[in-house]
Amino acid sequence: MAADLKSSAGDKRGPRRKRAGRSEARAGVLFALPWMSALVIFTFVPLVLTFVIAQAKFQIVGPPKWIGWDNYEAMWKDAAVWTSIKVTATFALASVPIKLVLALGLALLLNRLTALSGFYRTIFYLPFLMPAVAGSITFMLLLTPGAGPVNLILEFFGLNPPDWLRDPQFALWTLIMLSVWPLGVETLVFLGGLQNIPKDISEAADLDSPRAWHKLVWVTIPLITPMILFNLVIGIISSFQAFTQALVIGGTTGTPAESTLMYMVVLYRAAFRYFNVGFAAAMATVLFLAVLLLTLLIFRTARSWVYYEGESR
Amino acid sequence: MAYPTFAKPSALSRRGFLQGTAASAAAMMALPAFAQAKGELLLWLPGGSDVFCKVQTGLLADWSAKNGGLGPSTTICGLGQDTAYSQALIGAITAGASPDIALLWDAPVSLGTQGAFLALDEMMAKSKISIDTWPGGLLASCQFKGQTFGLPAMAGLYSMWYNADMFDAKGIPSDPASFPKTWAEMRALSKEFTVWDGDDLKVAGFMPHREVESLAIWSALNGGTLYDSANFKYTIDSELNIEMFNFFIDWLDEEYKGDVNLVDRSGAFGSGYANGDTGQPSAFREGRLAGLHSGSWLMGDIWDPAPTFSNWQLAVNPVGPSGTTTVSGVWPNWLVIPATALNPQEAFDYLTFLSTEGALAWFDAVPDIPTNTLVTVPSPKILIEKRGEEFAKNAAAFYSAQAKIVTPMWDSPVQGFGNDQIRLAMEKIYTKAATPKDALAVAQVASQAELDRVLAG
Repeated sequence: MAADLKSSAGDKRGPRRKRAGRSEARAGVLFALPWMSALVIFTFVPLVLTFVIAQAKFQIVGPPKWIGWDNYEAMWKDAAVWTSIKVTATFALASVPIKLVLALGLALLLNRLTALSGFYRTIFYLPFLMPAVAGSITFMLLLTPGAGPVNLILEFFGLNPPDWLRDPQFALWTLIMLSVWPLGVETLVFLGGLQNIPKDISEAADLDSPRAWHKLVWVTIPLITPMILFNLVIGIISSFQAFTQALVIGGTTGTPAESTLMYMVVLYRAAFRYFNVGFAAAMATVLFLAVLLLTLLIFRTARSWVYYEGESR
Repeated sequence: MAYPTFAKPSALSRRGFLQGTAASAAAMMALPAFAQAKGELLLWLPGGSDVFCKVQTGLLADWSAKNGGLGPSTTICGLGQDTAYSQALIGAITAGASPDIALLWDAPVSLGTQGAFLALDEMMAKSKISIDTWPGGLLASCQFKGQTFGLPAMAGLYSMWYNADMFDAKGIPSDPASFPKTWAEMRALSKEFTVWDGDDLKVAGFMPHREVESLAIWSALNGGTLYDSANFKYTIDSELNIEMFNFFIDWLDEEYKGDVNLVDRSGAFGSGYANGDTGQPSAFREGRLAGLHSGSWLMGDIWDPAPTFSNWQLAVNPVGPSGTTTVSGVWPNWLVIPATALNPQEAFDYLTFLSTEGALAWFDAVPDIPTNTLVTVPSPKILIEKRGEEFAKNAAAFYSAQAKIVTPMWDSPVQGFGNDQIRLAMEKIYTKAATPKDALAVAQVASQAELDRVLAG
């Protein structure tokens, strides 16, 4: 009898719970619906359309014409695409590590508790809030040969400053320097990781070795490897998508002499200057696959160097 | 009229990018507002001075009022040059909210072949203005495979401009007849003026040519071409063009320390306008540059800001080492009717008006040169006012003569792409990143490949 009652009570709670569950699920779906719709309309549909348009000759005016793999073949033969791949790879290889090292350094400094640490955190984050176009123009003014403050200061000290943005040998490095400037997000991610290092581990490390770099190499860095992984992946993705600064500084031809010609700039000019949208879509598809593969590769290697707390090996 | 000055050898300058972004956004947002009712003409202009815009607005309003059935028509000024303007125009055409008429500072065939503009041939055949009244060379820049995508209404004509006061101060004959007839003579004369203070170029004579839009003229002056429209072939890397750039580089090395960046640091020696990016005032207007290659529109623009000298003169373009005769060339003010225009016939009627009767009012305010042979080019009013009747008359006669020796240009269906490639080649050549032969060969291959792609249909 008791068992029956229990069973009957359970049966009564069951449908009610199920109904409540369904209702909750429905509400959840409704709440998520706007976001899901936006994801489908503004991300998945364009993504699929990009793959389709990449197979067509499409110049905005007039209907697209199916040409199969011709856009990819044209990409393969296009010298500007190869130049842009070289420039973008150089940019990524230089800017991502520099950015990581500098952001980590800043985070280590910010992690030292001082009365002004909140102030410094805000200061270091501020450049991230500046629009890329405004930041680029500010740097262009600072680096103007002849009248720019940077060159005036260097000349004051008897140095012979270069034409930062007009000399093909310097322009890309100037662009890299500019990309390193807004470090706020990376620094905050590292700072979060540093502040999550258990105090007992940190103190034990201090007791084991008085040398700070020992602690940094053997304790701190291993414990923040998830943050390094995050910053690395985001850094690589964003460096392959570098566009605004490159366009503002180098225009659509990567002035001077293609030294700042990023992949995304070639893609943009194909679509919006030459109205060769199919070619631009093919470039976007290749970029998507390249970044996807690179990200997967990093995640694959991450198993051997990223340490998650509580994880056993 | 504020023509682009090309001080920075880039397809899209910082200013251009910002203006373009803003203009495109504004144009897109305002599309519904621009969408006019049938019977009201809508004219788009890429840019220009306030005077230019005012004249165009007035002309359209007056013409619309005089032609019954048309409502109050609208002129949209300064939508942005180059990429920005094309983007806005293409966006409007695809959205079905295009203007009835658009002024292009470019060749219409590029977008015309894509179906963006109406072919005007049928309307031209029925027009009271005979097709023969258009100069063949200029009309050819609007034509592709037997179709005409625009009317070459007004042309800015290129010639040499020089500061006669600087010539006089050095005891050099300053009359136009004595002006150098060859590049070699011009280069020799240039040295008379050039003064360096360390790495600062204080004064210069003439500059090796660095503007891509008018390069076809310099190529023709040396007996060459950049593009063969009859055979759909680019000829960028011809021996004559390599010779031309070798001449310029040799000149740069000899007179300007082989470094264009030093020249650019010292001032805006590239054109008759201030450098839009750096704010440097025009060296020519400052009296620091003896002469330059510029267009007829400068006759209207040179007074603001006024130059530091009064006696400027015009001369024919000198001939290159392999050239035999002088030529001129144009900056186009070509008019098109977008494919989705609501009032194509009325728009065409207005185009013919603007190219003939309306051209005179345009010319009075901004001295671009009317190209239709039905129009007799008078003396520009602004020149009469500033330099007297005689000088103005001579200037008008000079440019009328120049109009007859225009070299074919602006006639490629991939004009913008080709110009970008040549611009890049020039950058590499002038920054010594590549030899003329190598840089031009790369530009040739890329331009021909793009042309072949477009021609493939």
